[in-house]
Amino acid sequence: MTTKFGFAGAAVIAALFATPAHSDVIKVGVIGTMSGPYALFGQNFKHGIEAWVAEHGAKVGDHQVEFIYRDEESPNPAKSKALAQELIVKDKVQYIAGLYFTPDAMAVAPLLSEAKVPMIVMNAATSAIVEKSPYIVRTSFTMWQNTVPAAKVAFAKGAKKVAIAVSDYGPGIDAEAAFKKTFEAEGGKIVEAIRMPLSTTDFGPIMQRIKDSGADMIFTFLPAGPPTLGFVKAYIDNGLKAGGVKLLSTGDLVTEPDLPNIGDSGIGILSTYHYSAAHNSPENKAFLAEMVKVGAKPDDITMASVAAYDGARVIYKMIEATNGQKDPDKALAAVKGMKWVSPRGPVSIDPETRHITQNIYLREVEKKDGKLQNTELQTFEAQPDWGLAKH
Amino acid sequence: MSDRLAMEDRRSSRLPFPAELGALVAMALAGLLGYLVFPDDLAFLTRLIGIVFLVLSLDLVTGYCGIATLGQSAIFGVAAYAVGNACLAGLVDPVALLGVGMVAGAVMGLASGVLVAKFQGLPQLVLSIAVGQLVAAMANKLSSVTGGSDGLAGISPGPVLGIFNFDLYGRTGYVFSLVVLVIVFVILLRFVRSPFGLLCRAIKDDSLRARMIGARVYPRLILMYGISGAVAGIGGALTAINTGVVGLDSVSFERSAETLVMLVIGGAGTLWGALIGSVVFQIFEHYVSAANPFHWMTILGLMLIVVVLFAPRGLVPLAVSVVDRIAPRLGGKS
Repeated sequence: MTTKFGFAGAAVIAALFATPAHSDVIKVGVIGTMSGPYALFGQNFKHGIEAWVAEHGAKVGDHQVEFIYRDEESPNPAKSKALAQELIVKDKVQYIAGLYFTPDAMAVAPLLSEAKVPMIVMNAATSAIVEKSPYIVRTSFTMWQNTVPAAKVAFAKGAKKVAIAVSDYGPGIDAEAAFKKTFEAEGGKIVEAIRMPLSTTDFGPIMQRIKDSGADMIFTFLPAGPPTLGFVKAYIDNGLKAGGVKLLSTGDLVTEPDLPNIGDSGIGILSTYHYSAAHNSPENKAFLAEMVKVGAKPDDITMASVAAYDGARVIYKMIEATNGQKDPDKALAAVKGMKWVSPRGPVSIDPETRHITQNIYLREVEKKDGKLQNTELQTFEAQPDWGLAKH
Repeated sequence: MSDRLAMEDRRSSRLPFPAELGALVAMALAGLLGYLVFPDDLAFLTRLIGIVFLVLSLDLVTGYCGIATLGQSAIFGVAAYAVGNACLAGLVDPVALLGVGMVAGAVMGLASGVLVAKFQGLPQLVLSIAVGQLVAAMANKLSSVTGGSDGLAGISPGPVLGIFNFDLYGRTGYVFSLVVLVIVFVILLRFVRSPFGLLCRAIKDDSLRARMIGARVYPRLILMYGISGAVAGIGGALTAINTGVVGLDSVSFERSAETLVMLVIGGAGTLWGALIGSVVFQIFEHYVSAANPFHWMTILGLMLIVVVLFAPRGLVPLAVSVVDRIAPRLGGKS
């Protein structure tokens, strides 16, 4: 909890650890959404990292590892770049991690080569990020990665005519493109593609358009938050659910913290995603228990928590491989092809793209022991980032 | 108000441009101090300077002309996108890019001025917001030009004057931005005391009276908007050059609102107010958010309330009135 003491505290602690000759301090700068509307995911980063540290200790060999947190409350590339420069130049971090928003990750990428600092992206989900520097590794997901299996599910479930409704911004447009390409390749037909402004709150007219299009399934992507609730409500209130039109989405529509808000009306919604807190494995159970120990609320644990937890694992591996020296090439070489069993299932770092290869699950919202959860129905094993694979 | 203006004129009759020269020296010294004392914070200071231009440009239209606007970041962002695209198209000279930003900003400023300056009061405010939202929506839609929500990435300008590369430590970026700021600020100091600048203040104080003495209000305001746009455009250009990425945040409503907050803190209607308000606000924000990344917004909010309660006209007018009150006493003693 050094962050509570701020600069002075961190400096004092750094000084304390710097004095003994043998144990040096390896600093990791974490840029995340620590305040503002996305604060939950910044907390996820922090708790995910702390859970890893609690399990594996704050030391790698002789090297003390210290995480320094900085706030990027909204997409702001200029601020993120300045934060990263400050972390590198002033705080002398050896690794940059976190990065919730794509433009922020893009702004930091050009610094990495000159600074010889690897970056571990724990969320930002646009495919192209990893191409911006050879020193980037990503432990989260991409829209393509989650959407391609969705399109396959749609076809397998017998959908012939699908209406796509996505939020009108980068990830939404990615989701639309990925779904359309895959679904049409399978032999299905897209009868309607609607891009909804991010600020949309009244989804009635959109539901009407979908109804008129004669679609038998809706595929949607909206970023986690209040609008997802409105979308699901409109879907039910306008009689689409009763009329037999199925709803399929990426897991962003039904992230765990949002499930209680969606309520019982959400039961039966299908989604494809790389992580469900309800994933049934010993690794996930241990992870959830550790998260609660470091102070995370069980209902707040999301894909960002697990991406941070796995990101910390990657960083530890890099520190071990370089023995605490600043050698990004060696660090990257050590994690390319790295395989482990994450709380989300078996994963590996693709040696070509440096993006995480992972299982994508088809899940259904279900009520179990009085609580809503995403129960996994089907597994798509070892999915790469289809957005990069298409090149 | 008129007394002070007269005084300033009397002062200026002794030496050519003493206020401007003083500002030049003071800012150069402050900038040099920043470079020497905070060599590890240059990235932040560089980002800060980009925003200072935006606040200065807002001061020109709001502080000097009394135009209520919450759409100033649209101008800043359009210029940043223009510079980004110019750079990606192969124009990598930073000074030329600055020119591109200035022109793009001026054009966007004139266009906003034509719309916004036509009205007064609330309709004006609403229209300025509408222009801002329109630009923000277009920036999101035209992702081939702006990169959409991913941002326009890969902007890498060449060395300044063909010699100084933009480096990791932000030295080049800082010195380049500082030099541009000092030059523009000094020119603006002179500009706001020009007959045109004084007329704008007259329009702000009483536009009907200004009209009665024969001033053509609307065209003047549009012109001022264009000049303000050029200043905002320089800020947008510097931000694009230094950051290498232009995101939707640069045209966002939040950016406009924050700019207004900085101007109010410093004191609208004086260039020093805009400068000091934006510097103080950003430094405070920077330190508080680093010290406590989780609750800094609350602390910032409290500070804003305190400033508005105790210095409703802004920090600079407060400081001036304090000095005015103390100075005669000190003078009497000596």
